[in-house]
Formats: sequence, C-alpha cells, structure tokens
Amino acid sequence: MPQSREALQEKRKNLSSWLLSLPTMIWLACFFLVPYLIVVFYSFLTPDIYDVKFEVSLEAYRQIFTDGYLQPFFLSFKLAIYTVLICLLLGFPVAYYMARASEKLKNTLLILIIIPFWTNLIIRIFSWRIFLSYSGVLNEALIGLGMISQPLEIMRTNLAVILVMVYVYLPYMILPLYSVLEKLDFTLLNAAMDLGANEVKAFFRVTLPLAVEGIFAGTLLVFIPALGAYLIPQLVGNQRSLYVGQVITYKVKNIPRNWPMASALSLTLLLMVAILLLIMYAIYRRHLARRHY
Amino acid sequence: MEDIILQNISKDFGAFRAVNEVNLTIKSGELFSFLGPSGCGKTTLLRMIAGFETPSEGSIYLGNQDISDLPPYKREVNTIFQNYSLFPHMNLFDNVAFGLKIKKRPKAEIKDRVQEMLKLVKMEDQAAKHPDQISGGQKQRIAIARALINNPRVLLLDEPLAALDLKLRQHMLIELMDIHDAVGITFIYVTHDQGEAMSISDRLAVMNQGRVVQEGPPDDIYERPSSIFSAYFIGETNLITGDVHKVYDDYLELHCPDGTGKILVLDSSFHKPVAEQSRITLSLRPEKIAISRHKPRHQDDINMLKGQIEDILYLGSHTQYIVRVGKLKFRVFSQHKRVYFDDKALDWEDDVWLFWHDTDTWLIEDNPFEVLADAELDDSGNLKRYVKRSKI
Repeated sequence: MPQSREALQEKRKNLSSWLLSLPTMIWLACFFLVPYLIVVFYSFLTPDIYDVKFEVSLEAYRQIFTDGYLQPFFLSFKLAIYTVLICLLLGFPVAYYMARASEKLKNTLLILIIIPFWTNLIIRIFSWRIFLSYSGVLNEALIGLGMISQPLEIMRTNLAVILVMVYVYLPYMILPLYSVLEKLDFTLLNAAMDLGANEVKAFFRVTLPLAVEGIFAGTLLVFIPALGAYLIPQLVGNQRSLYVGQVITYKVKNIPRNWPMASALSLTLLLMVAILLLIMYAIYRRHLARRHY
Repeated sequence: MEDIILQNISKDFGAFRAVNEVNLTIKSGELFSFLGPSGCGKTTLLRMIAGFETPSEGSIYLGNQDISDLPPYKREVNTIFQNYSLFPHMNLFDNVAFGLKIKKRPKAEIKDRVQEMLKLVKMEDQAAKHPDQISGGQKQRIAIARALINNPRVLLLDEPLAALDLKLRQHMLIELMDIHDAVGITFIYVTHDQGEAMSISDRLAVMNQGRVVQEGPPDDIYERPSSIFSAYFIGETNLITGDVHKVYDDYLELHCPDGTGKILVLDSSFHKPVAEQSRITLSLRPEKIAISRHKPRHQDDINMLKGQIEDILYLGSHTQYIVRVGKLKFRVFSQHKRVYFDDKALDWEDDVWLFWHDTDTWLIEDNPFEVLADAELDDSGNLKRYVKRSKI
C-alpha cells in the first residue's frame, strides 16, 4: 500500500535532519562523551606515582570532603560571584548606552567590544602583568604623579585576579545584555514615567525585569568559565591560595601525580555547576511562568 | 476655565523647528484635537505637554501652574501612547495598578480602583491576562484604564486608533467619546485622520509645519477654512481663483483666467470687503454643488458653470463626478438619495451644469504661514493633495 504524501515527506525530513546532525554527534561522542567517561572511570581508581593502579577506590572523593580541598572550591566560587557581580554592574550601563545609541555608533561600539578578542588571551594577561607589576606602568605613573610614594603591591594578589577576570569576561556580560536591551521598547520607560515613576523606579520596575533574560545569559557565560579559571590566577594571582582550576592542574603536573584526585575534583566542580544551572533554570522558568501565568 | 495654556511654544531639534510659536488655550473638560499631516509638530506638542520634551521657547500652563520644566512624573497629565506601551511583563491588573503602586496606595484601594477602571473600559473579567494575549482594541482599553486610574486633569491621546482596523476604529471612537463624557476631564487628541478629528472633537487645531493654521470647532473649520491648507486637509474642496472684475450692490463678478470664464458670486459669504481687480480664491465643497444636464432656471446666471463629465466614481453612498470646466476640474459629490433632475443617469462626456447656493462659496483669506511649495499639483494645475507622508 503506498504511503500518503505527508507521511513520506515527514519521513524524508526526519532522515535528513538525522543525517545532518550525524557528524556533530560523532564528534561529540568521540571528543566529549568518551573523554568524560574516562575521567569518571579514573576518579574511582587508586593513584600511582606517574599513573594509576587499576584498583577501585573512593579515596579521592573522601579526601575532597575531609582534607581541606573545599577551600579552593570556596575561593573559586567567591571569585566567580565577584566577577559576575562586577561585570554586571559595569556591563549594564555600557549595554544600556549601546542599545540607545544611534545605529552607526552601535556598530562602532560593538566592534570596540569585540576587538580585544583579536589578541591572544595570554598576551593580554601578560600586558596586565606588565601594567600592574611592582615597577610597572601603573606604579610608575602613580609615583610620577606624586599620588603614592611606595609602589602598590597589586600583582600576585586576589585583587589582580578579579581585575583581570573582569577585564577578560566583561564582553561576555555586555553582549547578551545588549541584545535584550536593544530589543527593549523604550517608550515603556516613557509610559512608566508618565504614570508617576521617576527614573529610578522606572528602571527597577520596567527596564530590569525586561532585561532578566540577558542578565541570566550573561551571568551563565561569565560564571561558568570563572569557576574553572586557571590561567588568570596562575599568571597574576598569589600562589598561596589556590583556585580549583589550579589545584586540578597541580594534581596532574606535579610528581607524584594523582589522576584520580584531579578527575574527582573536575567531576565535583562539574556537578556543582550542573546543580547551580538547574537552580538558575528553575528560577528562570518561574520568572517566565509569572509572565505568562 | 482653562486647563492647558500653551504660550508661544517653539521646539527646535537642531536646525529643524518642529513646533513654531504655538499659542493655544484648551478649556477644562474639552475634547481638543491636534490635526495635521506627519511631521507637522502635533506629536512633539503633545510630548511637551506630557513632559517628554522641553519647549525651546514659551511656557505650558496646567491651570495656573507653569509646568514647562516639570518631569513627566510630576504632571497631573497622563498619556495613551500610539502603540499603547503596555508593560509586557505584567498582567492587565498590574498594568492598570501601576500608577497607584508607584504612589504606594493601600492594597485594598488599589484593588477597588483597578476593578472600577477595568469596568469603565469593559475589561473586568480579563485582569489576569497578559498584554500579548489580548487584541489591539483591548490593549487600547487597558491603556485608557491605566492612564485614568491616576485621576489626571488632562488625558493625552497620541494617535490612539492608528493601529486598529477601520470598523474597530469607528467603534472605539464612540467609546472614547463615552469615556470622555463619563470622566469629564480634558482630552487632547492627536491624529492625522481628519474624519476622526472632526467626529470626536469639541474643538481642533489644524497644524502644518509646526504652526497652528486654524483653530475652532470642526464645522467651523470645515465650512469656513482660513487657508488652502485647512480647506484641503479637512475634506475635499474645489478652489476657484479669479480676479474681482466688478463689485455690485449684492454680488461681485469674478473673472477666472483659467478658462472657466465669468462667475457671478453673491458676496453674502464674504466677511470682509473685496476690492475690484484684486485676486481672490474661493473654496467650494464638492457636496455643495448640484449637477444637472439642464440649465437651472432659478439661478439668474449666478453661481453656475457649464462643463463636461470626465470621470464618474461610484462610491456607494454617493457618486463623485469629475467635471471639466475650461482648464479646471471640479469635484462634485452627488448623494444617491437625491431625486435625479434627469430622467436618465449622467454619463461620461455628458455636458452638465454645475450650480450652487450663494452662501456655499467661502473666500479663503491670505495666510502668511501658507507654504504652497508642499502642494501637489495634478497635470491640469489643480491642487491635488496637500498631505506629506514623510516621517521625521
């Protein structure tokens, strides 16, 4: 019996979309899923001086929750939260200004935001080192201006880490904020002010609620990489208080190596991010649900 | 009592003067319209009253108070925006309640007032919906409720019906009038639609290029336009330009250089004396003209012209005839309830007589603000349309 034309078409459409996504699927399976499964597998093994012994052990997980390994997590979360908050506070006005600018200025500003990406991250971090160091540009300038007599010790502090983190991740906050604010109907602000709200009230009751999607997106884009930050703390931070990313690296770099520990730390971090994402997603869903009862 | 007084208001945007020396007094409880083509300055004027723009010159008074420099949230004036500007993240109840919530009124009072307002606009059972779930007409009602809940002294309406389709527009127009009657406050209505403005307004101001061209009740402006612009912007008209050949006791003889020949006009319609040899322009509305194949006997050869039908447009309630008289084309509206003078209907190429009553012509005064450069002329030199559709 011949199939109906619709059914045939439907079948063909399913087949073609499946075929089109196949390369991506294979790629993700080979280079994302399988490596992750290896990490999971390794986290339950016993460390050896260079490699692992294939003996099942929960030692790594036990250590994480008892032997002071929670401190790096705490530090990393603190860093990520600070980075997100500062990026939000600095990024929002910039995004708002860009959204309200003329079409020509908008494009210019967008390019200015993107230009830093053209330079390699490591080179940009090294420039910050030169800028912040004990006899660096900043200190020389401040002494030259007579504002300080002793050079400030900014390099190799947590302040330097936050500074560079904000510098690197600010565009990831600005761009999603800009994309929602650009769509915002600014006559709504006129309406709010017409109804008696001053600028501040209009902002909190209209602009902010309507920018929530951008705030969520920007927060995710900044928070997740900030949590696993390794390069920036390594290059400008002090080496006494380590962030999770650094601890993981040391576990596989320094002899004796501890692959199970590094794996377990990675997975714990992943789990925390996943839980956090789920919580944020739930909040976001509730926010959307409130909008559409 | 006066509610809004605009005193010598001008507004410049860079080198562009959007509003030019406007003086208007709007009475308390009046439904007043600003009527004009896009870019005539009517919306800018409204935004200055609302407080979104500051006048470059002049003052705005609300009652006795000079409000020119007050921010929008300190003015007892509320606005219906063109696209309604309902808050998409709030349901209809919260939209309407917004003004009272800002003022931190008690919850019970807010609830009562919102119910009252929703009832006024017949939306009481939809309070839980969101703006994206209701139709354009319903959004309009919510916008009205949201603005009126603050008990403003003046309600500003910025082209409130522009986004609605024709039937709904007519319906909402009547409803707006009912609401105006119910709340009794001053409404200022901005529109480019002359039909809307004429049917809804107590008085209106016709605007062009930043200036008020004419101000008055709709029938006054329609029957007695002060300028070619007013005559063309409100309704359709025929303009007859000619030189006054001779002034008699009760009429004058007009010679038209455009080939219509000699017209004798009874001068009862003139409100000021006309000198011989001066050039004057008369406005003659199309519906005032009678059309017939036979020469009217009772006209004494006054106020009548002979021409030829060039076009017939059947428009349902009436027919529009385009009649060529010399070099001029006359527009004539003929109501279908009229008993035809002829035994058979008029047809293309028919020779016809046009005639009208001596009070139906109106002398258009010289208007110093009139800019004829904007006029669009058709191939026979007739003024076709005055409206410019460019948006600033």
